[in-house]
Amino acid sequence: MSSEGDLLHVVTADQISDRRRRFGKTIVWGSAGLLFLVAFLQAADHNGWLDIGFETWRPTLYAYVLWGICLCAAQVIERGEHGKRTLFVLPATLFVVSMVVFPLLFGLVIAFSDWNLSSPDGRQFNGLDNVRQMWTDPFYWNALKNMVYYTLAIIVEYAIAFGLALLLNAEIRARKFFRVAFLLPLMLSPVAVSWMIGKSMLENRFGPIARLLRELGVENPSFFSTPEVARMMIMLMDAWTYIPFMMIMILAGLQAIPRELNEAAEVDGASVWRKFWEITFPLMLPVSITAILIRIIFKLKLADIIINVTSGGPGGATDSVTSFIFREYRDRSNVGYGTLLAIVYLIIIAAAMTILIKAVDRWMRPRY
Amino acid sequence: MKVEHYNAIIRAQLSRRKMLKGAASVGALAAMGGMAGVPSALADSHGNLRAEILKIPGVGKGSPTDADWQKVGEMTLGPTKERVAEGEFEGVELTFMGLNNQNLHNFLFRGFLKPWEAYTGAKINWVDLAQADYNPRLQQAIATGTVDFDIIEMGAPFEGDTAGKGLLDEMPDWVEEQIEADDLVGYLQPPVGTWDGKKYRITIDGDCHTFAYRKDYFGDGAIGGASVPRTWQDVNAVSKALIGKEDPLTGLPAHGYLDPLKGWGGFGFYFLENRAAAYAKHPDDPAWLFDPETMKPRVNNPAWVQAIQDVFDLIAAGAYPADQINADPGTTGFQQFLAGTGSMLMWWGDIGSNARTSDTSVVGDVVGFGINPGSDRVYNSKTGAWEETYNEAPNMAYLGWGVYVTKRVSGDAKKRKAAWSAAAHLGGKDISLWMSAYPSGFQPYRNSHFQFDEWEAAGYDRAFIEDYLLSNAESYNHSNAAIEPRIPGIFQYYSVAEDELAKGYAGQYASAQETADAIAAAWEKITDQIGRESQIALYKASLGM
Repeated sequence: MSSEGDLLHVVTADQISDRRRRFGKTIVWGSAGLLFLVAFLQAADHNGWLDIGFETWRPTLYAYVLWGICLCAAQVIERGEHGKRTLFVLPATLFVVSMVVFPLLFGLVIAFSDWNLSSPDGRQFNGLDNVRQMWTDPFYWNALKNMVYYTLAIIVEYAIAFGLALLLNAEIRARKFFRVAFLLPLMLSPVAVSWMIGKSMLENRFGPIARLLRELGVENPSFFSTPEVARMMIMLMDAWTYIPFMMIMILAGLQAIPRELNEAAEVDGASVWRKFWEITFPLMLPVSITAILIRIIFKLKLADIIINVTSGGPGGATDSVTSFIFREYRDRSNVGYGTLLAIVYLIIIAAAMTILIKAVDRWMRPRY
Repeated sequence: MKVEHYNAIIRAQLSRRKMLKGAASVGALAAMGGMAGVPSALADSHGNLRAEILKIPGVGKGSPTDADWQKVGEMTLGPTKERVAEGEFEGVELTFMGLNNQNLHNFLFRGFLKPWEAYTGAKINWVDLAQADYNPRLQQAIATGTVDFDIIEMGAPFEGDTAGKGLLDEMPDWVEEQIEADDLVGYLQPPVGTWDGKKYRITIDGDCHTFAYRKDYFGDGAIGGASVPRTWQDVNAVSKALIGKEDPLTGLPAHGYLDPLKGWGGFGFYFLENRAAAYAKHPDDPAWLFDPETMKPRVNNPAWVQAIQDVFDLIAAGAYPADQINADPGTTGFQQFLAGTGSMLMWWGDIGSNARTSDTSVVGDVVGFGINPGSDRVYNSKTGAWEETYNEAPNMAYLGWGVYVTKRVSGDAKKRKAAWSAAAHLGGKDISLWMSAYPSGFQPYRNSHFQFDEWEAAGYDRAFIEDYLLSNAESYNHSNAAIEPRIPGIFQYYSVAEDELAKGYAGQYASAQETADAIAAAWEKITDQIGRESQIALYKASLGM
């Protein structure tokens, strides 16, 4: 056993022969060569240059899997103990590359294509035409504007979630029951929420809420007729589903605050409000920011309730970007344009979230 | 031949050769007129079969179950047995792609085809899809060259996408004989089901929108006036006149015509078409959605604009129930009309079959049927002028479901025969009677479906069934029926039109004309994207031009 090198992380330092290293290199390059060969033959067959009889792209997939196995094996063959450490990450990396990075690249190709599934010409590269179309598409901009409203509603959701978390953190009767009861909406599928609430309880003729309002003197209660009310109802249903999620995160944070801090403040004579504003709220900021960021990500994906209840109406007032892309892609088979919209949305989300995280990070960093 | 008879022959060790010889002798005798009683006996047993299957499970005796479907499937195997020997398709596996709407469609087909599988030895694998998933699944399979099904339940509007791209197998002549295709109602005869003169479709459904109205709203002293509205002008006038009155059945506010103002994945556009058909479908012109020479949309011509304006007028007058802007066709049909809200509606035949059988319907005793209302004037696209003459044009919305066989089986004679045999079993004359009389998702579509005595004998109320069936029959056989264009991407046109209409109904466009112009502009884009020249050719072909 060697007494040199990284003794902290490596148990043994292998003596690896040149022959073994060459073998490792050979299987990696050999399988890579095979992969390229099969992919080339497959492409040639697909484009009609050769007639090999490949019906699907499976041969290329198998060659890729073989290359992946050889690459992993070669780590150990060539580098011994060091290679074994690599194996903790490499298979997962290869999997992510195949399932995320490659489809994303493929998606980019589609995004710059004119591809209507009904077109006899199939997919055609069309440069920036889809971007130009997006730029002048009032439906997309309207949906983006709606997303701003939906996202801003998170501030109210956060306040409610914080209040509920404080209540559940207090010494109240049946606390465990309420904790479970308040979590129930989160366990429901948004599709179920849309049908149970949006389509049944809020049904304007027989729905119990409409009946109650009628009893209270509202002549024709309607929940989805005007843009503002319809948007508000969608926000409420979505909030009802996801407030428990924020609440449970905040509650976990509240329970982690050391009791001594509040006790010390009490000894100093701090009021309830002072204790909250000077101790609880600042200590809860990291948890709050995390909860809000995750909630924003959830909110930006909002679609199911809208698709089920309003289909984006009235006149696009409740449309979200995802529900619009859903119609463009699924109802109209406009794959190229739909993909471009999705990718632009992804970029907007990634950029906005990065900026937000940076800003929050700077704001929250303690300054001594 | 019934199953038990066939089994008896097998038990008696009668060989297939002997059996065929016997059948040939019977046929020869019959041809010579030597057995005068045979044809009538056969007809009697056939008539008995139809009466017998209509007793399964019996009208008013609950919804049919899988056991009932299997029983019907077994009793109607006769035509299959005439053409296929027992066990002939041993080892054949077929994939059938269809819908699972309301637990019907594929659920029935499974039951119907179980005895067929047992008899022929073939095995069927099923791909069940929800209605909303159907279009994208089919489009993706076509576009990516991954058609992984041998038999498909498909609507005629998709013939452009499939037959037009050479993905379907041509129907053999024996299938046409087995299903007795000449019994189909007029509008389902070719060119529907054909492409470039070749036949591809086994029809299992007929589709058209018919007019349903509340009889208690109309008549002497009734709140809607003495007679049922005959034109769309009347429909609008009555709808406005009913504002502020009370529904005679429910005591809630009375309403007139129910337009769905929310989209339904493209299907909602059919409902504007109902109004537009009377104005835009000129008897001398088969086209009414596009100009067949240029594919220029007609959706913004004065006829279509009038249809949109009619809806705008009712919105402005406050004639619709509250929240109508959020009502899709499912809502207008099932949550409003059948539940007692509103007095007039256009829908598929489901309203008729549900009015008396659905637990949620309250209008069973007061519902009447008719064909699509007409108009006092019709727009002539060729002259660009209105003609002051009465016109009516029933909307053949969707043209009904059919069963098609894909090219996947074309290279294998045994598999091909098996696929067509399975499809033909579902499209048989007798099984179709059962499907049109019981919950199946399919409307009557054969001339033989309109023998009212059969329905009455099965337990239906004569007056109700005559009213309901005649509204279908008169629509199907109308000389100026508005036929669905079977062009690729037709639902893309409808879907984008729904989005623009929603904006118009919400007041985001200044006028009906502006709304119609926005639809036309979106349609032009789709045509350019799919390919104008090919669309022109396919549109003309689909209209039989």
